[in-house]
Amino acid sequence: MKPKLLLVCVVAWLCWSCNDQCKETRVVRRFSNVTYSLMELRTQVKAESPRSLVQPGKMYVKGKYLYVNEIKKGIHIIDNGNPASPKFITFINIPGNGDIAVRDNILYADSYSDLVSIDITDPTAPKEVGRVKNVFQTGTFDGGSWGLNESIGAISDQNVEWVEETVTVNCEDNISPGSWWRGWLFADRAFLSSASSASPQSSGSTTGQGGSMARFALDRNFLYAVGQSQMHLFKIDKPSQPVDFKTINLGWGIETIFPYNNKLFIGSSSGMFIYDNIDPAEPKQLSMFQHGRACDPVVVSGGIAYVTLRTGTACGGGQNQLDLVDVSNPSAPQLIKSYQMENPHGLSIDFPTLFLCEGEHGLKVFDVSERFSVDKNQLAHFKDMHAYDVISLGKTLLLIGEDGFYQYDSSNPKDLRLLSKIPVGKAI
Amino acid sequence: MKKIAYLCLLLAATAANAQTGKSLRFVNHTEFGGLFGRVKYDNPYTGNQEQVDSKTSLTVQTFNGLQLNRRLSAGVTLGMDWYKAALLNPIAGGVRYDLAGRKNVQLFGTLDAGYAFAWFHDDSEGFDTKGGLMVNPGLGMKVGKPGSAAFTLALTYKRQEAHVTKAPLWDQKERFEDRVYNRLALRLGINF
Repeated sequence: MKPKLLLVCVVAWLCWSCNDQCKETRVVRRFSNVTYSLMELRTQVKAESPRSLVQPGKMYVKGKYLYVNEIKKGIHIIDNGNPASPKFITFINIPGNGDIAVRDNILYADSYSDLVSIDITDPTAPKEVGRVKNVFQTGTFDGGSWGLNESIGAISDQNVEWVEETVTVNCEDNISPGSWWRGWLFADRAFLSSASSASPQSSGSTTGQGGSMARFALDRNFLYAVGQSQMHLFKIDKPSQPVDFKTINLGWGIETIFPYNNKLFIGSSSGMFIYDNIDPAEPKQLSMFQHGRACDPVVVSGGIAYVTLRTGTACGGGQNQLDLVDVSNPSAPQLIKSYQMENPHGLSIDFPTLFLCEGEHGLKVFDVSERFSVDKNQLAHFKDMHAYDVISLGKTLLLIGEDGFYQYDSSNPKDLRLLSKIPVGKAI
Repeated sequence: MKKIAYLCLLLAATAANAQTGKSLRFVNHTEFGGLFGRVKYDNPYTGNQEQVDSKTSLTVQTFNGLQLNRRLSAGVTLGMDWYKAALLNPIAGGVRYDLAGRKNVQLFGTLDAGYAFAWFHDDSEGFDTKGGLMVNPGLGMKVGKPGSAAFTLALTYKRQEAHVTKAPLWDQKERFEDRVYNRLALRLGINF
């Protein structure tokens, strides 16, 4: 009798316990609201001892110095005299910083609502010399947005953190949710960090190089700063004391600004604006090149604008492509050709070589001398890296990716040679 | 790696055993059947309400081994399981042991343990399915004359692990799923 009873028990137990257990673990973005007092924030801009990269944002180069933004935290000053061994010199603590521009010995940086000018004559001891208060109303960092509350003198900010969560799932949701959002993660990150260069140089004084994703641009006696819907002009006749000069409304979704040949190329989520800048105090809109909704860094060289569109929720849109646009007549930009890409981010041109970051797909190098067959003239595709941001300095290539900052010898674009790497998170 | 080592050990033990006996007989036991189970989960489409679904999957497997003594045979079990979102191929060490019974009807115990691979599984873009450990103990009934072919009916419990790396959704940067299939396996087969 007993074995039979046992058998019944076993079968019953089997039937009861036959539940598939499927746990899905995901790392999800979470927002938390915080409020900072402007009074306190304005006391916090100061030089600190060098520290390691944690969440690098945009890069800016001037002379032998390299300025790397630490998203929302400040700026690393790096001595890049020897690209094979860059040295961290100082960290400037700037709460709410995302952008950088340098003219002579003055560094301009945003600090939430304010524009701060910092004297970097001695890069080991930078100090705040000027501030324009309450010029920027809103902004975003890493997907979280902040807003200025002028009446109480506070910044309402959203902190973004990644949390791990585990949920029970039905063991069979293996359907790919489509490709429109893939690589989005990098999109937003790059939105804050991408840069590239085509040397938007101007006038006598020395200015550094930002890139295709920069929101700050220097041209003659003006600093142009684009916000989400406006362009602010700061007069910098006296470099240490910028003056809020003018605000131009542009419409929503402004992302980047790229000055070239007395023109301002402004990338927005819906298209590219071209402004005439012959009189730097009076930029005039010449045209708008409209495309699908997407993030779009722009670089310009030789009458051709190179515009990348990529998908991502931060920017919307469903295209991943490189557009070549004829801007020789800036009043009527014409599409030359569109090329399909994987997930293009920052780009940089050193004509005829175009360096294009493809996020998790690495870095692509093209010869763009033949404008109708750029895709056939791909010189190299380096897949073993994450690339968000690139600045070409002729013989040297600066590249920032998920895990660090790289410098390459690019004298032969087909075969980049790694000069140095600063990994993210490495203690100095 | 540990799992594979474990599997090799089992195979080696089987082979070693095989050499000790005299005139060992080859045994084949091929079965097909269903894997029955349920899943209880929070359905995101109905406001994370808990939902229970029944699950059925097809399974086939073949055990090839040697008769070590009158009751015990040991060998290797190769199988194929069509789960809804994973096609897995378990490779396991297995034993069959006759417990009791009359001449023509035998109650036998069965145990397979090993590792399943997802060689034949085809993932959609951004997904990567990997197999995992498998254990499958149970009881069965064998009907047929001793020494000749017999029909079997086996009721076993199968635990199969799997791991799926998934493409992250828009607000995520990493997503993966650890699966444990707990199933009641009911199989028909032939044994000779």
